[in-house]
Amino acid sequence: MSDQLILEAEARTEFGKGASRRARAAGKIPAVLYGHGTDPRHVLLPGHATTLALKHSNALLSIVVGKDSELVIVKDVQTDPVHQVIEHIDLLIVKKGEKLAVDVPVHLMGESFPGTLHVLEHATIRVLAEATHLPESVEVSIEGLVDGDKIHAGEVVLPEGVELQMDPEALVVGITHQTRVEEPVVRAEAEVAAEAAAAAEASAESESSEE
Amino acid sequence: MLIPRRVKHRKQHHPGRSGAATGGTKIAFGDFAIQALEPAYVTNRQIEAARIAVTRHIKRGGKVWITIYPDRPLTKKPAETRMGSGKGSPEWWVANVKPGRVLFELGGVDEALAREALRRAQHKLPMKTRFISREGGEF
Repeated sequence: MSDQLILEAEARTEFGKGASRRARAAGKIPAVLYGHGTDPRHVLLPGHATTLALKHSNALLSIVVGKDSELVIVKDVQTDPVHQVIEHIDLLIVKKGEKLAVDVPVHLMGESFPGTLHVLEHATIRVLAEATHLPESVEVSIEGLVDGDKIHAGEVVLPEGVELQMDPEALVVGITHQTRVEEPVVRAEAEVAAEAAAAAEASAESESSEE
Repeated sequence: MLIPRRVKHRKQHHPGRSGAATGGTKIAFGDFAIQALEPAYVTNRQIEAARIAVTRHIKRGGKVWITIYPDRPLTKKPAETRMGSGKGSPEWWVANVKPGRVLFELGGVDEALAREALRRAQHKLPMKTRFISREGGEF
């Protein structure tokens, strides 16, 4: 994704969980900027704008702190799994022209042959790309693939200037046949009742023979 | 039914119920999933019932992943027994589920079918859960 999203941040003055919670309650997200040997800088990002920016994977962000501006990518996001809110973000400072290894989501296109099932073994693939031209996703077509077909990482068509950074033999998508779920045998009520009666008779007989 | 093949200790203390899940909170295998919203002990019977509910609804096609495992034994003393005389015998095997944990994943089916299949599974589970999808994103 080549478009830069500009976010205005403010430097953090107070730290700790109390201060972080106050910032989150005020609609801000605590974040840290680091990379290229610089000292880490702690900032507060606008909550809503940041959340929208993170909807794009591998988004290139321009963070404005006072008079300074830094080009960053999102390195890590801490989220609350239940409330699904962002708690903290790690931002990695990048430079124009620099190449980065990033994980790119795989999007499947089309439908495999009827009666088959696709299994996505790698939901993301690791690629090396220029910081300003990081792909947001890669598309893999499974149109018409039949049982036993496989798409390996090396066969995925990558955008221009992007190199694969993982084992090219790694399986990305596999096509298997659909398995039929066996339905339980539903027996007639009369049959079950007859069996129960037979069992009761047998137990009564054994009791009488013991006496 | 899921049950550990071999355990180090036959009887254990009750697993802790506090806190949220720290791992297994995202979809790892399929396209759709059920996520826990409350803490609970999920027994192997409940897991099996939910699995059957899903597989019977989707009939053919699709793949189901169970991402929890009932590895904790719970004990029970027999009825009408006086207190004391040691700990009861193992009665249930449970998975200690915390809020945020992904329980079941489903892939290879369309969203409408996955929603209905997982809705049926949700009714077999002892806590509040929600449907999540990979495409839906996190935020």
